Amino acid sequence: MKPGLIKHFVVAFGLMLSLSTQAAPLSVSKAVDMRQAMDDVALAAINHELVLVKMQPIDTALTKRGFEDPGMRILFIGSESAVRWAEEAEPRLLNLLPLRLTLIKNEAGITLVSDDFGPWLHEFPDAPARLMIEAWQAEMKAMLDDFVRQ
Amino acid sequence: MIYRFHSLFLLFALFWTGAIAAADSVAMNRADADAEPMILTTTAPGKNIDQAVTALSQAIVNHNYTFVRQQSIDSRLVPYAEEVRSVRLVYFCNFAKMDRALRIDPRATQMLPCRVTLVETSSGVDLIAVNPAWTSQSMPALREVCQELKQDYLDILDEAAL
Repeated sequence: MKPGLIKHFVVAFGLMLSLSTQAAPLSVSKAVDMRQAMDDVALAAINHELVLVKMQPIDTALTKRGFEDPGMRILFIGSESAVRWAEEAEPRLLNLLPLRLTLIKNEAGITLVSDDFGPWLHEFPDAPARLMIEAWQAEMKAMLDDFVRQ
Repeated sequence: MIYRFHSLFLLFALFWTGAIAAADSVAMNRADADAEPMILTTTAPGKNIDQAVTALSQAIVNHNYTFVRQQSIDSRLVPYAEEVRSVRLVYFCNFAKMDRALRIDPRATQMLPCRVTLVETSSGVDLIAVNPAWTSQSMPALREVCQELKQDYLDILDEAAL
């Protein structure tokens, strides 16, 4: 197969992916253990003026009750400005706050996954709600990128 | 020349396949979203927020869920004394259901733990939950679990509003 054709395949495949994953949750991975991941998320949050509101240790909550360890924890992250903005512009978006992150333990380390903003963007197609969701999504992405760099 | 035509054809075919798949996915999601409301809500008339939290906590226990915690919407974001008192979040969980959902699809964490937002108004308290059947629109394996969860939410909200 000629290199030009391979390039076309790659470009087409990239287009397909970009079309089909627009609404996917944000996700990053890093080769660290859960404890280090928690520390790094906390630092990344501070760097982006976000606050770690609550850590929900669903792994220990489940194992304590005799269930299998899912290797997951949930983090809630927020900012006062996000709450005030939602109160002012679209109170239904308070249901999305504080923002949730899931830490998933796997063989390679920890994967950090946000909620899927897609359904929310679909439900709120117009400004200002859409702008708010997009801003929170962008803020979350910047924080996740920072987490990877920590 | 023929080779170039083939590569262009392949490029077009791949692009078109991707575009159709994405359009189908969007259409399916839209149909699901239209079928399920985003929010489940009820009103507890004549109650203040503390009374509504108490009633909700009892309803949670009555439906075999465990109360996890309650907090204000701006908890830890502002000093305690400045927290908004009229909006509270109540979290709860049924661990067996959580275990089952996570085994089916780890993305179930997007619905965990269960949460009701209470908003005090002049006439009572609105109890609001995000419909898990709406949240799970892109997670077909979770549909059955989320329909059950939605029914649990409705039962709990109804009882808390009495």
